[in-house]
Amino acid sequence: MTHPDIETRVDLALDGELDEADRAELETHLATCPACRRFRSDRLALRSALAAELPRLQASAALRARVHQAIRTEAGSEAGGGTTRRSRRGLPQTAWRWLALAASVAVVAVGSWRLGAARADTAALADEVVASHVRSLMPGHLSDVVASDQHTVKPWFDGKLDFSPPVHDFAGRGYPLLGGRLDYLDGRPVAALVYGRRRHVISVFLWPSEAPAGVTTLPIRRGYHVLRWATPQFVYWVTSDVGLAELTEFGAMLRLADSTAAGAGAER
Amino acid sequence: METSELARFEAVILPHLDAAYGLARYLTRDDADADDVVQEALLRALRFFGGFRGEGVSQGRAWLLAIVRNMAYTSRRRRQADGATESFDESVHSDAAADHHPAADLARRDSRETLAQALDRLPAELREVIVLREIEGLSYKEIAEVADVPIGTVMSRLSRARKRLQAVLAAGGGPGQTVSGPPEGAVR
Repeated sequence: MTHPDIETRVDLALDGELDEADRAELETHLATCPACRRFRSDRLALRSALAAELPRLQASAALRARVHQAIRTEAGSEAGGGTTRRSRRGLPQTAWRWLALAASVAVVAVGSWRLGAARADTAALADEVVASHVRSLMPGHLSDVVASDQHTVKPWFDGKLDFSPPVHDFAGRGYPLLGGRLDYLDGRPVAALVYGRRRHVISVFLWPSEAPAGVTTLPIRRGYHVLRWATPQFVYWVTSDVGLAELTEFGAMLRLADSTAAGAGAER
Repeated sequence: METSELARFEAVILPHLDAAYGLARYLTRDDADADDVVQEALLRALRFFGGFRGEGVSQGRAWLLAIVRNMAYTSRRRRQADGATESFDESVHSDAAADHHPAADLARRDSRETLAQALDRLPAELREVIVLREIEGLSYKEIAEVADVPIGTVMSRLSRARKRLQAVLAAGGGPGQTVSGPPEGAVR
């Protein structure tokens, strides 16, 4: 493979467009080629910078109301049959009616659209989580602090994050703590904890959030299961290629450990 | 339009209003124009919804964004016909021409160019692939659908766009974390 080829493949891999076999081949090359590794880290830097600097824009409430009203009018006039379509600028005599309707429509509309937007955001975040997990599996990227001891991993985060992630080890139950690293998700730095399960790796991402509680199992993506839940303090995203049953068991253990720690008032 | 059809429209198309606005805003680079484009696009989508055979919400997104994109280009052309001087023409926004672009000069004098400014200065066909991929998270296939070009073209446009933005980042643009490239204050 030539370097331009590799660069194309790096883009494909980072965009989630490269299949498993090609990705493995790419990783083999990257392991031996500093130039291509540098290309990839530049691309990752660009991606983080774009995510940080280019906001996901939102339609204003006024636009939502305007669009919703226009749709109702359009749909209504079609049902009525043969009514001439109103200009999008609207007529002066309809303006008051429009305003009154817009206000009431906005309340109803925002609710259902928020839900849709939230779903799309969740899917996008799940993609990010899996991409980050896959990236971490590339040589040398798994963890910044390698330790099977939570008393080494937890202090390592001090000063690197604006929060202190709870860290537990489940080696006794077959899920040893392998280490931790910093990652970047949902537009902010997050804690990533790495656990092992036989020869598989489980990534746990967490950051402070007031997200609604409840455990969600997301649709499998690119061969990885994704779980999400929230505690009063943190939102958790967990992904791995272990079976869903094992991942669910792991999630339950983690939640139990968290609630026990919180209940004991021990910040660990 | 039947009520069930309207309900389907609201379920499949309306969740993408923010995405529609984002694409329109990045393409028109103007708040009011973006609002007009979105409203026109939604109405057009409603009129032609009968021809939309897709089921899923993500198919609805690509379908709607394709309409938004067309409306945004139409709006630009209309403005140009009205005597506005800005152009989507790549020759105006190419690197060589941009060196003499007043806005670019201003930004340069002011401070380092930010990524957002650099994106605005990209030709529209490069800007849209960045917005669709990096902000909206569309797959190559979906981007190809929206922009009505082959997937190979999506890939080469993404690569060209990233190369240009990477240069801005290396020169110290972006949110202040320069990972590679010359240190701050280095000669551009």
